[in-house]
Amino acid sequence: MKLAGRVWKFPQDDINTDQIRPKMYAHLPLRDQAKHCLEMLDREFGDKVWSGDIVVAGRNFGAGSSTPAFAALIALGIAAVVAESFARVFFRGSISGGLVVIPCPGIVELVTNGDRIEVDTVANTVVAVTTGRTLACTPLPGVLREMVELGGEKAYLKARIAAASR
Amino acid sequence: MTGMHALQKMLGEHAHPRADRVQAGDFLEIEPDVFAFGVSYNAQEADKLEADLAELGVKQFPLKDKIFAFQDHGAPAPSGAFAAGQKKWREVFRSRGIPVADPGAGISHLIMTERGIVGPGTVVALRDSHTPTMGAVGAFAASLAGNVLALFSIGRYWLDVPRVSLVKLEGKLRKGVFGRDVALHINGRLRQRGALGQALEFGGSYVQALSMDMRFTLCNTATEVGAMASYIQPDRITLEWAEPRATRPIKVYETDSDFEYEKVWELDVSELEPQVAAPHAPDNVKALDEVVGTQINQAYLGSCASGRLEDIAAAAAVVRGRKVHPDVRFIVTPGSREVLNAAIRLGYIEALNDANAIVTHANCGACPGLHGGVLAPGDVAIACNTRNFQGRMGQGAEIYLASPATVAASALEGRITNPLKYMS
Ligand code: SF4
Repeated sequence: MKLAGRVWKFPQDDINTDQIRPKMYAHLPLRDQAKHCLEMLDREFGDKVWSGDIVVAGRNFGAGSSTPAFAALIALGIAAVVAESFARVFFRGSISGGLVVIPCPGIVELVTNGDRIEVDTVANTVVAVTTGRTLACTPLPGVLREMVELGGEKAYLKARIAAASR
Repeated sequence: MTGMHALQKMLGEHAHPRADRVQAGDFLEIEPDVFAFGVSYNAQEADKLEADLAELGVKQFPLKDKIFAFQDHGAPAPSGAFAAGQKKWREVFRSRGIPVADPGAGISHLIMTERGIVGPGTVVALRDSHTPTMGAVGAFAASLAGNVLALFSIGRYWLDVPRVSLVKLEGKLRKGVFGRDVALHINGRLRQRGALGQALEFGGSYVQALSMDMRFTLCNTATEVGAMASYIQPDRITLEWAEPRATRPIKVYETDSDFEYEKVWELDVSELEPQVAAPHAPDNVKALDEVVGTQINQAYLGSCASGRLEDIAAAAAVVRGRKVHPDVRFIVTPGSREVLNAAIRLGYIEALNDANAIVTHANCGACPGLHGGVLAPGDVAIACNTRNFQGRMGQGAEIYLASPATVAASALEGRITNPLKYMS
């Protein structure tokens, strides 16, 4: 899969799930919850972001709880999150839920806010469009790669169950 | 190839196909011994799961007899929306013949170990991020991290075999210092990424002499330093605790003598003072004395980190014969009904109640900020739950994490207090 988009850079480490999807709005429909995504770090992020944009973040993005915080990013139309590293629970939950998440050491230094980047999930690279600089990303094991390409855990299971009954 | 860790052997044995040699970084398809699920309060999520299962053609769950469902977060319902969500979720399980624990039974990690559903050698899958708590009995316990639909539909999930680091704790604690202070100190030393994606084993002379209650407290904190699982090698203390409870065969795995730990953290606890994690991160850890005197509005004792009998005993000893400061809400939530029953029998609950503490049913309680002690903007709390992220227990509030004794002493004085003066 290839994606390109405008970067929203959150260089902080340890951005946690309570910041990505603040619990105090948990009673609202997902769309409205998503408006508050990352507001503790950038008050207007939920309003300024466009569908297809890419979030770039520091180390351990998604620390904290196992609640599906990734759903707020999907609801905003975020095409991918590229981070120095991810918290495991958030990372795997995102792949299952169909959010493209790419661990890419060096990404915070590679881009500035507003840059365009291109992400290639097969070649495992991220390219900063203006400078042409390229970074290699950490490759995913087989099942996870299939999930990313197919769009999530359900699509993967569907294909697998269909193949088994053939 | 060097030796294998006990956790890696456990995973290899539960893998499809079975793997006798596994190493860190291998990616395995696993059938767990136990799949536990906390009933959510989100109705949309239940509808989506049912729709997804229908789309995949799943009627019965392949793991049916291995599934346990709990209601520990925000239950019983604090609002109509929660009630409707929980009703839907209960139906997901009950319609398939899976019993759901009542909302006073307690927190999943406690119930499963206390009831012997999870014991030495069990591979347990649970969504909750504090699943590593159960590593204290020598189980492989990691949060599902996705995989929910896979476990419901094909009865398997995928795990990356972790690298393992060792936290080696030596020495004996001074008076007024508890297992939770050690856990907080570990948070401060390793920080939130110290064991990212790894498993964390706890060992050394301090751990070998440690009670099961405090072993759970240590293993619980692995989540806060980024670990996927925790481990304490089962010993006589583990087996004396686990054997009478066991509902499934116990199996003790051993780590090979030539296993190479990713990193060994050596800590001496002998000189440790009471610790505190200041707002807004569980690794913002300092000596308690640096924040002594800070005014508080609420004190909270409970959670899967510190809601066990020893925790309640420590708090009861501090408040016995005294009164909670009139401006403070001191909420005490036992971690499980077993803990509550024992605390009643031993007179701890009476001591807390007489001191004007608010004792609740066994549950996650105020920890996830869903009910029973949500904080107002500007409120300051001292609490012994797991984490103190901004907004966790209420927007605009501040949470200091500390040991149950510190929480109780602070509740008496209305400001953060070193518990030592209340230790006779
Ligand atoms: S007590 Fe707190 S941290 Fe533990 S499972 Fe419940 S909500 Fe999560």
